[in-house]
Amino acid sequence: MAATDNPLLSDRDVEFVLYEMLAAADLCRLPAFRDHGRETFDPYVQQARRFAREVLYPAYRPMDESPARLEGSGVVVHPRMKELWPQMVGLGVIAATRPAAVGGASLPLTVATAANAYLMAANLSAYCYAGLTTGAAHLIEAFGDAHLKTTWMPRLYSGEWTGTMALTEPQAGSSLTDVATRATPRPDGTYAIRGSKIFISGGDHDLTPNLIHMTLARLDGAPAGIKGVSLFAVPKKREEKGALVPNDVHVTGLIHKIGWRGLPSLALGFGDAGDCRGWLVGEPNKGISYMFQMMNEARIMVGLNGVATALVAYHESLAYARMRPQGRPLLSKDPTRPQVPIVAHADVRRMLLRQKAICEGGLALVAFTAKQADLAAHEVDVEARRRAGLFLDLLTPVAKSFPAEWGFESNALALQIHGGYGYSSEQLPEAWLRDQKLNSIHEGTTGIHGMDLLGRKVVANGGEPLRILLEEIAKTCARAEAAGVDRAWVDRLREAAEQTAGLVMHLGALGMSGDVDGMMRHSTHFLMLFSILVVSWLWLWQATLAKEGLAEAGADAAFYEGKLCAAQYWIATELPRVDALAALCRSNDDSFARMQDAWF
Amino acid sequence: MKILVPLKRVSDPDNANKIKVGAGKVETTGLEWKPNPFDEYAVETALRLTENGTNAKARLGEVTVVTFGPKETETTLRAALATGADKAIRVDTTDDAIDGDLLARALKALVEREKPDLVLLGKQQVDGDANQVAQLLAEYLGWPQATFAGQITSEADKALLVSREVDGGSIKLRVTLPAVVSVDLRIVNAVGVTSMHTPPTHKYSDGVRFAALMAIMAAKKKSLTEVKLTDLSPDTALKIKYTGFDLPPARKAGVKIKTVAELVQKLKTEAKVL
Ligand SMILES: Cc1cc2nc3c(=O)[nH]c(=O)nc-3n(C[C@H](O)[C@H](O)[C@H](O)COP(=O)(O)OP(=O)(O)OC[C@H]3O[C@@H](n4cnc5c(N)ncnc54)[C@H](O)[C@@H]3O)c2cc1C
Repeated sequence: MAATDNPLLSDRDVEFVLYEMLAAADLCRLPAFRDHGRETFDPYVQQARRFAREVLYPAYRPMDESPARLEGSGVVVHPRMKELWPQMVGLGVIAATRPAAVGGASLPLTVATAANAYLMAANLSAYCYAGLTTGAAHLIEAFGDAHLKTTWMPRLYSGEWTGTMALTEPQAGSSLTDVATRATPRPDGTYAIRGSKIFISGGDHDLTPNLIHMTLARLDGAPAGIKGVSLFAVPKKREEKGALVPNDVHVTGLIHKIGWRGLPSLALGFGDAGDCRGWLVGEPNKGISYMFQMMNEARIMVGLNGVATALVAYHESLAYARMRPQGRPLLSKDPTRPQVPIVAHADVRRMLLRQKAICEGGLALVAFTAKQADLAAHEVDVEARRRAGLFLDLLTPVAKSFPAEWGFESNALALQIHGGYGYSSEQLPEAWLRDQKLNSIHEGTTGIHGMDLLGRKVVANGGEPLRILLEEIAKTCARAEAAGVDRAWVDRLREAAEQTAGLVMHLGALGMSGDVDGMMRHSTHFLMLFSILVVSWLWLWQATLAKEGLAEAGADAAFYEGKLCAAQYWIATELPRVDALAALCRSNDDSFARMQDAWF
Repeated sequence: MKILVPLKRVSDPDNANKIKVGAGKVETTGLEWKPNPFDEYAVETALRLTENGTNAKARLGEVTVVTFGPKETETTLRAALATGADKAIRVDTTDDAIDGDLLARALKALVEREKPDLVLLGKQQVDGDANQVAQLLAEYLGWPQATFAGQITSEADKALLVSREVDGGSIKLRVTLPAVVSVDLRIVNAVGVTSMHTPPTHKYSDGVRFAALMAIMAAKKKSLTEVKLTDLSPDTALKIKYTGFDLPPARKAGVKIKTVAELVQKLKTEAKVL
């Protein structure tokens, strides 16, 4: 009963977000994007979409069913991946958003977000070989010396080699302060690297002849803690006399993952034989600050992973609900009448609408955040650029965590709609549910992002980022009223915004008075509250555009009515949670704080 | 080899349920457009004939794409330029001002200007489904033709060995160039086209190639010229006149039949097939 032609995303919604919501074509007024316009954006998104549907998606199930294997000392990827890689590289995915000077196409991240969403929805693992490579090359581009920029960076951006992020160690996951891999200077200016890493995605494979690990390690004599961690580029094979020779980086284990099975994640040993060389990237002891500068983009990417994984499952369950006959309408139970498709049941539409609200709200969130990244990097007006930077920092933990947490729920609903068939591996929703779970763990767990949001982001610059959000919410509310959106929706959003502002003042004051524990105790609840507020704002904005759109002749009525129902659903069912969460954060309830280890 | 490929955008067949008919015309506002798939196969074929598949970036011939349509059809031409075509021509007109015959006469004039060695076309449009232009054009030019090509082998770019898809199998024809060839779906299989430049061991990916982002940007700078229809054919009279359009009748709800006798009865009296 598999629904076949999964569209992955709604093309109409992508167009809506890019052009009706975010006015992506206006970005081309900025010098960085002057070679672009809809005449390049649209064909690129179309190519990515077609590649995702025709090539990547059919390979998803086979790659999930037989994951990459460890054979001898190296990892062998699924044979399909070997066909996909050159084609994906050929599309220009890796360097799309990078400037022409490094072989890129200067595409706004906003537009790349739309294109990448299709690729991720089709086959997350396959896309991520490219995503990781972009990340590694970008680190070299931003902080590397001329040697790294001329020798390795072009090989990464061209897809000749791939890159990894080698941060995590067994004792240093959330706590990168505890990174223990060591780097000892060698007379030739390189460093001898020695240590173990774990969970390194794409850390070995037979797709390309070489790969570069962007590795966190500690120089001999470096200060303890986070300020003693440096960044190194460590190749799997180094060049000697024009040939590639092994660089003493070994696969010590392959993680048997429950999802993302097309992409191997590995335990790696560096320098077991004392012959592993690394090249310092940037200055000593600045590794973490370099990583932080790249983090917004990496987190936007993880957020998009979450949205895409929820979206593909939403579309699968929508198609299923339209074709699965079961039961009869509540008021006409005549058994001689044929059964109706389950989409006819209001409760099934509840599940579908919740998915739609989460998925399309999430796509708007990640794309909006990506646009702030574009403006923060390329806006010419200094004040506008600064403002975008602050807004970006504020929204990043939300763009990372909302799709992961609510997306997991959305993925569970997609399975639920499939009933018993969904609980079988014959159907795909269970695979996407497994894939989705990673997004609340890697690139900072949800708990870590809650602390980041409350402890750092909302209180930064004397609360300026929060003021920016409140201003945007006020603007949207005014426009919504003018467009004739239901007054009650607008009032609820205003109240929630005020509620949040008051709560931040309260918690901030606790922190200032020295009660940091009191301020931070409910940081994960605060992240939830804040995510709901931001996504409610984005839904009111979408409802406003829908009202404006419906007022025009020849409007795409079905599309806009769907937006209005989803906005109404979100505001009626999710926004009210802000009250309860705010009360919880204010009450400083100490149930889990008081609870002792021994009492469990 | 110089190849001319006529290319048309058609309303997306997936939009069939959005089609509206008003005042004897098909309403085209609000429809989504895409290149006619068979024309895309023709472009793919032309590219394969003019490159070495192992290094497709270096062009070893010239492919010109031409479309007949209003300004916005230039998007379709740019898309073809992005996949590798070398230059484009737009003949300014609208769908309802042309028919297959006028198109063939205008193409003849264009061929005389551009002097291609080969005109490659899709076998038909998925909107009008007429399947006429290639045949008419060959006749007007007095060139050999091979239609419904499922496989093409270039013989030193002097002649083409064309395997035509016909009922029950295929027919092989050798056409000497210059010629007119129309292509069918199978031409874009991994081994549909054998050019003189590509090693026979090379296998293409099935289907039409993807355009790289860089190529999409570069396509903006490729030559795209506009020509007036009357410059090609002063006589713009149409041979086909449409008198009206109707949507296919909606399907009637079925009925449940209890006995075989009743079925036979209905087949006789209502369906009148017995
Ligand atoms: C499939 C997969 C792929 C990965 N790919 C990569 C990769 O390519 N490169 C890479 O470097 N890493 C990678 N990782 C590692 C990933 O980033 C870490 O798993 C993550 O940072 C969490 O670290 P941990 O697993 O050690 O969990 P821990 O840090 O042990 O966390 C366990 C739990 O404790 C909580 N916790 C931890 N510290 C605190 C605290 N201070 N306060 C409150 N709660 C806390 C966390 O929120 C979490 O719920 C990958 C992981 C997986 C599973």
